[in-house]
This record gives sequence, C-alpha cells and structure tokens, in this order.
Amino acid sequence: MPGRRAPAAPVDHSLCRRCQLSEPAITVRTEPLCAACFSRYVSTKVVKRMESFRVRHLEPGDERVLLLPLSFGPCSTALLHVLSHQLKGQAEKTSRTGYKLHVLHVECGNAATDSLLSKVRERYPEHVFSSCSLSDVLAVDGVPELFQQDPSSGQLEQEQGGSSPQGSLDSMFASLNSPTARDDLKQILIQKLVVAFAKQNNCEAVLWGDSATRLAERTLAETAKGRGASLPWVVADGDMLYGVPFYYPMRDLLRKEITAFASYVEPALEDIIVSEAVKPAVSTKNTTIDDLMKQYFESVEQEYPSIVANVVKTTSKLQATSLQGVETQCELCNVPLDGQAPERSRLCYGCIRTLPHLSS
Amino acid sequence: MPPHVCQICNTARAQILRPKNHARICAPCFIAIFEREVAETITANHLFQPGERVAIGASGGKDSTVLASVLKTLNERHAWGLDLVLLSIDEGITGYRDHSLEAVKRNSAEYELPLKIVSYEELYGWSMDQVVAQIGKKGNCTYCGVFRRQALDRGAAMLGVGHVVTGHNADDVAETVLMNLLRGDLPRLSRATSIVTSTPSASRPKPAADGLPGAVSFTDVKRSKPLMYAYEKEIVMYAHHKKLDYFSTECMYSPEAFRGSARTLIKNLERIRPESILDVVRSGVDMAKLVPDADGNCKGACRNKKTSGNDVGEVVEEEAEGGCGGTDGQEAGGEMAEMEQKLFQDAQAEENGAETEITMPAKAVDGQRHDGHDVSSTAAAPTANEINGQNHDRHTRPLPPGPALDGGTIPIRTKQEKKSSRKPTKDAPPPRQKLGQCDRCGYLSSQAVCKACMLLEGLNKARPRTGIEVGGG
Repeated sequence: MPGRRAPAAPVDHSLCRRCQLSEPAITVRTEPLCAACFSRYVSTKVVKRMESFRVRHLEPGDERVLLLPLSFGPCSTALLHVLSHQLKGQAEKTSRTGYKLHVLHVECGNAATDSLLSKVRERYPEHVFSSCSLSDVLAVDGVPELFQQDPSSGQLEQEQGGSSPQGSLDSMFASLNSPTARDDLKQILIQKLVVAFAKQNNCEAVLWGDSATRLAERTLAETAKGRGASLPWVVADGDMLYGVPFYYPMRDLLRKEITAFASYVEPALEDIIVSEAVKPAVSTKNTTIDDLMKQYFESVEQEYPSIVANVVKTTSKLQATSLQGVETQCELCNVPLDGQAPERSRLCYGCIRTLPHLSS
Repeated sequence: MPPHVCQICNTARAQILRPKNHARICAPCFIAIFEREVAETITANHLFQPGERVAIGASGGKDSTVLASVLKTLNERHAWGLDLVLLSIDEGITGYRDHSLEAVKRNSAEYELPLKIVSYEELYGWSMDQVVAQIGKKGNCTYCGVFRRQALDRGAAMLGVGHVVTGHNADDVAETVLMNLLRGDLPRLSRATSIVTSTPSASRPKPAADGLPGAVSFTDVKRSKPLMYAYEKEIVMYAHHKKLDYFSTECMYSPEAFRGSARTLIKNLERIRPESILDVVRSGVDMAKLVPDADGNCKGACRNKKTSGNDVGEVVEEEAEGGCGGTDGQEAGGEMAEMEQKLFQDAQAEENGAETEITMPAKAVDGQRHDGHDVSSTAAAPTANEINGQNHDRHTRPLPPGPALDGGTIPIRTKQEKKSSRKPTKDAPPPRQKLGQCDRCGYLSSQAVCKACMLLEGLNKARPRTGIEVGGG
C-alpha cells in the first residue's frame, strides 16, 4: 500500500547516498556513492549470484571446485578479487568455504597477458592456478575434425604451417576469410578448451566474468551472426550445451562499473589487468561484428544503463529447448541442429559462416 | 583489368556487384534471380492460394512499386491466377502524400491493375490536415498511426479482399529485430519476423460481417511480406534496372531513436558482412519460436497490427512520421531516454517494494497473461510485463503521451484502466486480455472500445458545428 514507507531522513546530496558519511566517488545509476559503499555494492551483487554455492557441511578438501577462466580483462580479474574476498570471509567465519576456485588462463599469443599469471599467483596464493595454450584445443575431442581443410580426406592437413599444434592453429586462422570469422572461431575454441579442462579437473561449473554489457554485446553479435536459436544458452546461468554449467556472476554489473571498481581496490588491480581500448569506428574494414557491438554498447551504457540490463533480461526470457532427444548438434557451437542447418550439415547456419569449407 | 564475366550466364559482362553476396552478375541475370528468389519465398511459405484476391499495399515508394511489378510478373509467368489490386492510403496531408499517390496512379495504369485509394476522410470523417487543425501539432502522430493501422484492413475489406501484401524488406525486418531486442519487446519481435501475420479470427471460419457471401470482415484480413528476404539495396537496383517509376520520400526516423540506432547498426553490419542482414532475419525467426506463449499469432496484441502500404519510415505501427505535422516535441534519443527512465523507476520500485502495477496476490502471478514464467517473485512481474511490450492497459501508471512505444496512449485511458482493474476479484487470476471486438466498429480490440473509435470520439466532440473554410465561398 502506498504511504506505508517510513518517512525518509533528509538526504544530503553532497554525500554518499548510502552511508551519508563520505564524499561520493562515483554515481551509480543516479546514486552517488563513496568508494567503500560502491565496492560493497559490487561485491554484494556478485555474492548474491553465488548463493547456490553456499557453504555445505563437508570435510575441508571435499568442497566443489569451480573453474574461473581468467583473461586478465577487468571483469574476470575483478571477479577473481571479489570471490577471493568472499572465500576469505567464509573461511574466517565458518572455517570452511562453499567452493574452491581453480583459475585458468588460456594463452592466445597475446604477450601482454602471459606474464601476468605469476603476479596473480602471488596475490591470491590460496587458489590453484593453471595455464594452457589455445593450441591445446586440438587435443580436445572433435576439434581436429573441424580443422580438416579438405573434407574428403580423413587426415589433418599437415603441410601447411608445419605439424605443430600451434602451426595448425595458425594456418587455420589464416585460412578464414574475415576478421569476424577469426574472432568467432577463437571465442568458440576458448570455450571448448575451458570446458575440456573443467571436465578433466572435476570442476563442477565454470564461472565466467562476463559483465551485463558483455552479455548484451554477445546477444546482439550472435543474432547478427545468425545464431538466434542459441541465444537462450548464451546468456543463461546454469546448464549449458557443453555439459558443464556456465555461470555469470557479474551479470548485474556494467563494464564501466566494474572498471571503476577495479580502480578503487587497494592494492590496485590495475597492474594485473590488461584492458583493450575500444577502437573507434573509423573504417569497418577490419572491424568484427563483436567489435561493432562493443562500440555500440559502450556508448549505450554511458547514457542508458538500464537498457543494457534490459537486453540481457529479455534474452534470458527466451525458452531454451530441452536437449533431451536431440539427435545432432552443431560440431562447433553445440546448438541442436534441428531446423538450424541445411541437410546433412555438420554445422549450424551461424557456424557455416565461420567455417564455410565444412559445409559440403 | 579484364572485365568480369557474369557468374551466372558466363557470357555477358558483369555490371552488378550483388549486395547480398557480392556475386558479379549482369543486369538481366540479376533481374531473373531476384524474381526467382521472391517466387521461392512465396512458394516455400505457401503465401498464396490459386485464384486468391490479393491487395498490394501501395504507397508509391520503391518497395511497394517493386512488389507490384514483381508480383504481376510472377503471377503471369507461373500462372498463379491471382487477382491483384492496388490499395493505397491517403492520410490527407496536402503536399506530402499527393506526389506518391500520383506515382501509384501511374503504376496502376502501367501494370493495368485496379487501384483503390482509401482516405482517412472517407474512413473516419477526418483527414490528417483536419486533425492537425483541430488538435495542433502535438499528439497528431498518434492519430495518424492508429488510423493507419485500421485503414489497410478496412480498405481491403471494402474491396472484398482478405489478403494484403506489403513491401517489407529484409532490412526492415532486421532493423525491427534489433530494435525489439534493444527495447526488450519479445512479442513484437515474434510478430515482426513472421512472414504472414493473421488475426486469430482469420484462421477461424467466420460468417461474413453482413451476411453477404464473399464479403470480408476487416477483422479477417491477413498480411504477408513476400519481399521479406530481399535486400533494400537490391530492391533499389531492381527498380533502377527495370526503370520502374516510383516516388521516394525521405525516411523519417526522428522520434524513433531505437529504430534509428538499429538502422545504424544494420548499415554497419552490412558493411562488415553483407550476409548478416539475412542472418539477423533468420535469428529473429528462430528467436520468435523461443518466445514463450508465442504460437505464431499475435497474442492479445492484435490492436498493434502492423500497418503498411507506406514506405516512408514505416514498418512498425508506432512509427511517427515527420511529414504528418511534426515530431511531436520529442528529439532524437528521446525515446531511449524515456525507456531508460521507465526501467530505472521499475528497478527502484522493485527494490523499495512499492508497486508498479496493481497485481493480484502472489499466488496469482501464474495467471498473469504475460510470460508465464519467472514466478520467483511478484516483484519481477511488473517489470516483466513492461518488457513484454504488450499494451499496458492494466497499468495504473500513466504512460507518457505522444508516440510512445505502443503508438501512444492518451491520459483518458488511465481512468478506464482504473475502472477495469476494480472489477470483482472473485477469480484468483486476473482476466486474460481477451481478443474481443470494439463495441462501436467491430474492429479487433482488447478493450471495449477500440483506440480509433476513442480518438474519433474525442475529435468529434470538439468538432465545430460549421466547417471552417479558408478562402472564398
């Protein structure tokens, strides 16, 4: 009933809206907050999403393990920080934790990130850290078949680029016809590798650092690539197409909020973050579809943050079809092929754009 | 560099780089393949019955002109036996519609197709010029949109035609898909991507409105988009190479910031990867299947049926046109800011536990007609309903005036809503929004009186007794 709310205390607009003690450092969706309250806001949002991993009464050493892929972007690094903090708190209060983190870094040949792993290890020694290279994905089931340049031959093309996994990978990327296809394939391969790793290491779930902004970008990008049918799985928390559930604990936060949060953390998170500047849309020659969406949402999140959250919310309303009784799945993105692909194709329409040589 | 040879006939010089897939072909082959693809769309989706009477929504713009030309050609080539007629809407805006109507008349003569022009004056007793004279330039776009919605259906019914085809192209549909994703409007998204939209009554055999055999009630008109998979650029190319006569008016996207945004994205996407336009359309079609409660027909939102026959900034009903007297006081970006505010307020209200909608008690969330899921909290319901994009007639929150998301609402509505929400609450779930009929005119409406009748009532009450005429006499 209206009117039942307690009369609000007079609000001092020059102070932080929540604690009314310190000066505001940032305005979050029209609320000015000080650094401390803001950090608490960020942590609370993440912890809320982690509720399903509450402390269980198990022997220490028996807790579930969750995989956290770390790209050293602001979002996954911030996630690592917040979760480490939560776990410390749990350990202090109850002397056990609800889960253990296994952090994985996939090296993609980006020199800036590869050397950061040791710094992160030092900072958060309580977790298990691993690193692997993207070329390891060739050891994953089903992937080498995707790399066949010539569908009629049953062997991996060995001549091009040498027989090393990295060489095969490089020649594969080189053979693709557009930057979008390269980017797309890279993302999918990283996902496949992470899933394989999770399964090998008995991880119960994968915690991705995707922010609301990133999820919105992916929604539109996948739509533009023809994978509308896979959207329910792209943004949903829970069971995924790959057999290991994916969770996005940062889904309620915008990228700009996370970046700001990272700058308030002490000691600074900045030295373990590599953030890519978003390229301005000067020429669309080498822009990828994902870049386009990134640029777009970067401007939208400035002025209309709720719209970003709305896109994610809307997409999560789409009902995923059950995977029961699905006969064939796309070999690349695992979406059920029923009606999503031409006859006898191994890939769905969206993936055919990326790997055209496989649709014979 | 030697000239390329057409990739299809391998003989003529290739003059055209096809926008759809960058194929190099000659002009005759392009015309042939364009027509063939439209024919395939039509047959694959079973759009037409042999011998059917079909009205082509013609505005004189490029899409409808090409549509008329292609349909006539294919009709003869494949002997579909369709009875084609051109149907045009005259809003009664001097100096705007006149030129495109002339183009339609020329088309009618050239293709030898009968033409029917329906004017707002004829249908409602008010032309847009008169409406603007009456109510000024604020809110007039609402009237135009609401009237247009019904005008095509009524015009078709007057002709005894149950099927209207419109010139929506792939770019239009792709824009609508992205736009509705940005707005969080899933039901509209699923309607936009269906190649045929029919009112539920059209699927049920119904006795004709006035009992005469062959008469068509305007609630039974279905619409289809044969050009749905044709790129806008290719339509322009086709018109150019066949030397078709059309009048291109500027596309006005002024208050529609979402569509403008979506349009920019589409244009950029096309530059990156031309196939992406069709990919977006396909994604949209797939997504539509995943929308809860979607069964291919508009669910309780038939009042918001698409209008068309009009290329100018059209496709979606709430499109306000700059030409009809003004942008209604909203600047570009206004719409997104509005939505942002609404969403933000919803989120705030949720947090405070205040109500954003008068809902039935918690256990009845299931009965609410919107998503049917997300039952986890009642607080989720109001926002969910909002996002649904369905006409929020059950809200007591006044919606912003002007060409808002659903073609605008008028404050009058809030009183009606309050009355209806005070209905006896004996049944636990609130009544589902029913597809009824307007008491006055019989048009499909979820309210007792449809929007057009309501607006007309307001207009007629204020109409001066004697006509005000300018000039002599």
